[in-house]
Amino acid sequence: MKRSSSNLLKTSRAALAALCAGAGAGLVPALAQSVAGPVTYRLDPNHTFVTFEVMHFGTSTLRGRIGPVNGEVTVDRAARTGDLRLRIPVATLSTGSRALDARLREPDLLATAEYPEAYFVATTFRFDAAGGVKEVRGEFTLRGVGEPLSLVARSFACRQDAMLERQVCGGDFEGALKRSRFGATMGLPFVGDDVHLVVQVEAIAP
Amino acid sequence: MTKFSLLAVAAALGFAASAHAESATYAIDPSHTFATFEIGHFGTSTNRGRFNKTSGTVTLDKAAKTGALDVTVDTTSLDTGTAAFTKHISSDEILNVAANPTAKLVANKFVFNGDKVAEIDGNLTLNGKTNPVVLKAQNFNCYMNPMVKREVCGGDFDATIVRSQYGVSYGLNYGFPDNVHLVIQVEAVKQ
Repeated sequence: MKRSSSNLLKTSRAALAALCAGAGAGLVPALAQSVAGPVTYRLDPNHTFVTFEVMHFGTSTLRGRIGPVNGEVTVDRAARTGDLRLRIPVATLSTGSRALDARLREPDLLATAEYPEAYFVATTFRFDAAGGVKEVRGEFTLRGVGEPLSLVARSFACRQDAMLERQVCGGDFEGALKRSRFGATMGLPFVGDDVHLVVQVEAIAP
Repeated sequence: MTKFSLLAVAAALGFAASAHAESATYAIDPSHTFATFEIGHFGTSTNRGRFNKTSGTVTLDKAAKTGALDVTVDTTSLDTGTAAFTKHISSDEILNVAANPTAKLVANKFVFNGDKVAEIDGNLTLNGKTNPVVLKAQNFNCYMNPMVKREVCGGDFDATIVRSQYGVSYGLNYGFPDNVHLVIQVEAVKQ
């Protein structure tokens, strides 16, 4: 992490300089990059995180961040199909409170010793008229239990990234699940059953 | 007891309760109080960072519908999930946390909607500069917490600030937005 950290800092500065010089950070319409056949994008772990939100005693929203998330997504814009297979490192969860993190990792909640990763396999993609991703649907597996999950785009855009000299597509997605369906029942009903997922994702074209 | 006398007793109790209502002090619960910022990333996705350490006190008078707070955020506790991003935001190019290790929110105007806090108007000091800020409640509630056996009040608040007003102008000319969305979870324990 340390090595890539300093590289990231250097490259992001270079990118900013390039942008400043007028290389252009403008968004490109998704279809402008449309090519025949499927394209596989690599997730950018620096900009791909899952945040879960759950209501605490009907009062405030408890949040935890999971990630960075690595993975790949394949999109065929012409055919309007896609394929996403994510391994989500649940054991990296971070709420800002070490005590809460430790509690959440226990067997009656996220059981991270036995199930350090969650999985999202989505093969149903919905696109808008411009070719942007509107929704991905598939199966989410947590604590070894698979349930259907839909992630809906709150925003989605592609840009030509000046630093990477590649197209980058991504956005903010949201989904909802009931933790009890996955057997994570501790604290019900004082800590809510409804879990709201907020997903930041960016993916880099080859 | 007749219905009438029950009502009379209830009214008398209600009167007594409000007559004796006083402002109570609540201490911020650091394990359920976090400020998160959200800022757009090249029009594509939203970058987030969370401050892990917050402390302070809130006074609340539910009968008089008034309140005040004095909360300090440890800016050195920033946590974005990416070491390089955390380091850069903490640097003197952006939040300069070495020179300004705390941010402060001081407010003495609470707006109520019924018995719930709906809005907090105060002053935010960030990067050594102070500007007025209005926090809107998305949720507000008080409950008896079975673990600490005390009343806990809290909620979810948000606000949009203009970072250049705090002297945080890095990257504005590269397309990083000036508007930053603050998302705040807060719970405070009655003392």
